[in-house]
Amino acid sequence: MNTGTDHIIKSYDSELTRLTGEIVRMGELAVTQLEGAIDVLERRDERAARRVVDNDEAIDQLEQEIGHDVVRLLALRAPMAGDLRNVYAALRIASDIERIGDYAANVAKRSIPLSMVAPVAPVGGLQQLSRLAASEVRAVLVAYRDRDAEGAYQVWKDDVVLDEAYTGYFRQLLTYMMEDPRNITPCTHLLFMAKNIERIGDHATNIAENIWFQVNGEPLNKQRSKGDLTSSPEITKLGE
Amino acid sequence: MTDSALATPPSTVAPKITVRDLHFHYGDFHAIKGIDMDIPAKQVTAIIGPSGCGKSTLLRIFNQIYAIYPKQFATGVIEMDGQNILDPRYSMNRLRSKVGMVFQKPVPFPMTIFENVAYGIRHHEKLSRKEIEARVERALRSAALWDEVKDKLRKSALGLSGGQQQRLCIARAIALKPEVLLLDEPTSALDPIATSRIEQLVEELKSQFTIVMVTHNMQQAARVSDQTAFMYLGELIEFDQTEKIFTKPGKKQTEDYITGRFG
Repeated sequence: MNTGTDHIIKSYDSELTRLTGEIVRMGELAVTQLEGAIDVLERRDERAARRVVDNDEAIDQLEQEIGHDVVRLLALRAPMAGDLRNVYAALRIASDIERIGDYAANVAKRSIPLSMVAPVAPVGGLQQLSRLAASEVRAVLVAYRDRDAEGAYQVWKDDVVLDEAYTGYFRQLLTYMMEDPRNITPCTHLLFMAKNIERIGDHATNIAENIWFQVNGEPLNKQRSKGDLTSSPEITKLGE
Repeated sequence: MTDSALATPPSTVAPKITVRDLHFHYGDFHAIKGIDMDIPAKQVTAIIGPSGCGKSTLLRIFNQIYAIYPKQFATGVIEMDGQNILDPRYSMNRLRSKVGMVFQKPVPFPMTIFENVAYGIRHHEKLSRKEIEARVERALRSAALWDEVKDKLRKSALGLSGGQQQRLCIARAIALKPEVLLLDEPTSALDPIATSRIEQLVEELKSQFTIVMVTHNMQQAARVSDQTAFMYLGELIEFDQTEKIFTKPGKKQTEDYITGRFG
């Protein structure tokens, strides 16, 4: 935790600031990727979709840089206490953002086969899901930048909204598939995309947990309601 | 946090040394300002803090080295096994046989390696030559020095390397079978390899002794101690499990010091 006082060794401060900057930049890139993936889905633009897929490389690159910086800081600065938690959290958060980037790329990838078949109605529901996920990731990045544990906790709690929206969307897709078997192929793609977006929310909550630990030095041990009910046996009844 | 809460780290081990309201004066200078702490038996307690914070002074009170200087005095209570060592009736000889001390710079006596260890034993106990030889060997083995010196026991200790000299000083201290071992920056004059040897030795010795170590090297405190005390300007700021001090200290002053933010 930053106690508000600078280190005696100035370059140590600049290295830690750099690390925070890299994480925020990586996170913003991941959000842009997610928004890009939904945009190409809407526009049914295959080439743009491939660009989104290719851009994931930049996020992976940043993750490697962060990994390198973390190892360097651990080896050369031997961080302690709040600094140690800061560096440890950065490493874990970077790996969550990397996964978010992967999911965004997956969504873009699946938009390519979708753009080759006739448009199906429920695409709009996916946009709503992704808007929720993007604002969740944005909020958790702000909390990270500001070392705001309460803000992170809010994101963590609010993930239930995305989970519930996902459950609702899942139910909607099942209905479409039951109505007309020709919907099965596109709706299956949409199902996977929705699951990817729901997982992005889970990674945002992981980041929130790491922020909480970074600031407070203890794990975030609170109860949270689960909004994703799609794995419960009840879900088969949902489509009926 | 109250002072009494500070005094006891969450250790289940019974205290070997109990310090209560300890003050120390160098003439007019108030060097230790009311310290309470429980030092657990057969564990390593590290004391850290910036120069002049009173950490070496605290260590010196534990074996009353200051008693040889005029105008220096301690008030309060330091109980070792339930008896107050600050009580004037407490025998200095008894204290010195219970508490061994090793200093920052290795200070071997200008005599043979063997005599360096045997000297103190002879002073405290009447033993046969054979018994003394056995005690010297055991002490040198415990100090992880035996294999390096067994063939030159009759040579001068001054010919040993700095690290060997320091281990000889530890052997000299433990030959008297003390219960408490005080180490005042025992590795600050040593190279990293000699330092690792001493740290390994400390780990081995803690099954037999209660060890209190003053160190300027925070990584060393983190590596070898079970609990760590942070002192500043003669006060005990925080005393807790080492893991907690170095991952999540309770006080801002501690955090600032160990993360290198102390201005």
